[in-house]
Amino acid sequence: MRSDYIIAVLLFIPLAIVQLTLVPWLSYNQIAPDLILILLVIYTLRMGQLSGTLLGFVFGLLFDLFSGGIIGSAMFTKTLSGFLTGYFYNENKTEQNLHSGSLIFIIIVIGTADSIIYSLFGNSVANTNSLLTLIFMQGLLPGIYSSVLSLLMVVFYTRKLFT
Amino acid sequence: MIRGFLIRFWNRYKEYIVLVLLLVSSLFISSFSDKPAIKNVKTYAFGSFAILTSFVSKITEPFQTVFEAKRLREINAQLMLQVNRLREQGIQNAELKKLVALKDSSDYPLIAAEIVVRHVSTSQGSFIINAGENEKVQAGMPVINDQGLVGVIVSVAKDFSVLRTLSNNELKFAVRNQRSKFDGVMEWNGSELVIKNVPKTFDMELGDRIVTSDFSTKFPPSIPVGIVSGGNRDKTGIFNHITVKSYVDFIMVTNVFVIGFIPSIQKNNMELNLIRTIK
Repeated sequence: MRSDYIIAVLLFIPLAIVQLTLVPWLSYNQIAPDLILILLVIYTLRMGQLSGTLLGFVFGLLFDLFSGGIIGSAMFTKTLSGFLTGYFYNENKTEQNLHSGSLIFIIIVIGTADSIIYSLFGNSVANTNSLLTLIFMQGLLPGIYSSVLSLLMVVFYTRKLFT
Repeated sequence: MIRGFLIRFWNRYKEYIVLVLLLVSSLFISSFSDKPAIKNVKTYAFGSFAILTSFVSKITEPFQTVFEAKRLREINAQLMLQVNRLREQGIQNAELKKLVALKDSSDYPLIAAEIVVRHVSTSQGSFIINAGENEKVQAGMPVINDQGLVGVIVSVAKDFSVLRTLSNNELKFAVRNQRSKFDGVMEWNGSELVIKNVPKTFDMELGDRIVTSDFSTKFPPSIPVGIVSGGNRDKTGIFNHITVKSYVDFIMVTNVFVIGFIPSIQKNNMELNLIRTIK
């Protein structure tokens, strides 16, 4: 269990580098996929709600420190995202959740929630033109974009399982 | 008995207890993010991490250079056409300035830098650039590229600095319509740049150039920001919100210049005194 935490944090570092250097090239209109969220969702689905909440806190803290953003914003958001993902955790369906369309659905739901909370934390709700913009532009689209990347992973793992 | 109750309580609600504790910790840390101790930790962390990301940026540099070169060739052609006209106007301007003995405020030193980290977000856009204390970069200095205003330096480490871009809710600054001379305050609303509460009687047209204002305490005047791209035409109110398209493409930008301009403390203090007097 402890080694899982260490591996998760070790995996976080290269993913954070990719997130902050290469992923911006894939972004459109400030909307970008969130690799850190994908990692968090995968680990939470494997380890459970409590571990996911703790990992979310650690990932958020490190991301805030590394990205130069407001300290506490990603920390708050990722902690909550880890906790929410925990509701999809099922000890008996871990493999099924990770290697099927369920993962994509979970990432859309959590990605949307994550982006909306992050925007709210960034005080943009006071400036946002409408609730629709907040939910659709700043919430759903980043969630869908992240899930597209997770689709690649599902395809990769499914092929690996059947070969 | 109490111990047993506590154990049962913990086992039943541990997820919620941990969640509340961590969320409260996040908010607590967030509220102290401007304290020097937290700033020092942050400076050390992004400074160390930027060393790693600068290697990855070097790998992607050749791909970026291809796009950059194409764009620069186009700009070069446009600039060539403008140069002759500006040269004549420059000579005329220098003569006129001599006549009225005006101080030239456009001559600020420029510090070249590259972006090594991009934090793309709908609300908190920021970059890390590879110029810091060693290059005499200071917090508060504006950052531009060949297209216009990119943002402002908010935190400085030895070799790297955090740059808050225009696509960040925290950045609000005074701008001016270059044609009609109207001044307003610009901010990022999560999806676009807006100038809020513009009286309907003010002259604003699509395509008008927006530059930094003389009233800005953050930026020197007349740095290009963007062009008016639209606005709401609310028939019931007395104000409009004007949307502005930035000249800078925040995804493609790779090379920037930090302007050696420090916001005027004297000007800030005078403004604060004025506000206090009015109150």
